[in-house]
Amino acid sequence: MRLRLMRTVLIVAAMSVVGMAQNKRDDAVRKDRETVEPAGKWIYNDLPRGLAEAKRSGRPVLVVFR
Amino acid sequence: MQANGLDLSLFQFDFDLTFAAFFLNADKTIYGRFGTRSDQKDAMREMSMEGFANALEGALQIHSRFPSNRKTLAGKRGPTSRYRVPELFPSLNGRFTAKLSKQQPARSCMHCHMVGAAMRKVYRSSRKPIPEDVLFPWPLPSVVGLRLDPKHMATVKEVARGSAAERAGLRSGDQLLSLSGQPLLSIADVQWVLHRTRATDRVSARVRRGTRELDIELALKPGWRSGGDISWRTTTWDLRRMATGGLVLEDLADAQRLKTKLGTRNLALLVKHVGQYGEHAVAKRAGFQKGDIIVEVPGLRGRSSETDYLARILASKMRGDSIMIGVLRRGRRLELRLRLQ
Repeated sequence: MRLRLMRTVLIVAAMSVVGMAQNKRDDAVRKDRETVEPAGKWIYNDLPRGLAEAKRSGRPVLVVFR
Repeated sequence: MQANGLDLSLFQFDFDLTFAAFFLNADKTIYGRFGTRSDQKDAMREMSMEGFANALEGALQIHSRFPSNRKTLAGKRGPTSRYRVPELFPSLNGRFTAKLSKQQPARSCMHCHMVGAAMRKVYRSSRKPIPEDVLFPWPLPSVVGLRLDPKHMATVKEVARGSAAERAGLRSGDQLLSLSGQPLLSIADVQWVLHRTRATDRVSARVRRGTRELDIELALKPGWRSGGDISWRTTTWDLRRMATGGLVLEDLADAQRLKTKLGTRNLALLVKHVGQYGEHAVAKRAGFQKGDIIVEVPGLRGRSSETDYLARILASKMRGDSIMIGVLRRGRRLELRLRLQ
């Protein structure tokens, strides 16, 4: 009984660690966009907008995957 | 940009990278690519900020001459992809959508290597051999005997003895200006030309040597592509699931070969890691153990690498087939049956 309880506690603890790591990654993705876009130098994940801007300005486009 | 919803006819690049860049015109003409990797741990071995700056500079020069140079750029775009976007690949369909979830953006974000793995699964799932260009994508210049300088576009640092590059007369310090008529901004641009080159082919090159410009030709021998190493690739993890049942293998070092009296010319692949879970634990369930030395594999002759093993098995054995593998464990010979996936 005690062993089962300990196992349950461990599984719940492991699940919350995984959940916390997942939330951290989600926050990092949201933050990435918030950090990159306001600088005004990058267009975030919007190729049509990037191409339209290139056409308007006569400049080439740099597309980055990371 | 993210992989979800990616136009796969336009953006064809090495999906095992952590960083890749495209230089484009507004009409989607590709000026060049940047981003090369050759090692699992050292992601920057083939890249530098200086090299990136030089590639950017070169892209601006191409842009300044556009559209009079449009013809030379045509080959930089690949063929239309069978799957328009990654989420249409059978193994990704239903798992990912074109847009990220607002609640769980990280979980819904497709990793680039998943696209590369999905390409291979198309063949494996339908019990077809994985084509050589899908198994050995984006050949590094070292396959033809070239080590290029990561700091300067496509400049030769070293030429390997006896290689196709040496036979063509390339020398250290040469700058490759174009390959197959395409201008080169980076090592990735060289890889793109090699990636699109057939099994046996001749590749024309325009080279700057000092103040002179020369035209040379690289003659590639049959099987040139499979001389590359794919063990560092993230996507190879899935190939191991298919062909080794989750084992990670390494050619046994000479010192250990001496100890075990295996000789330096024989097949001896050390089991470095045994997968523990799910489909990566098939070899574990078949009885393989860490430290085993694989000495016999159907169709594999002589000293071979893990890459050789993967190429041989994935070309000749299909999903569901079983193979007998000869193993040495503490001096005792065993035969283990492995079911392939």
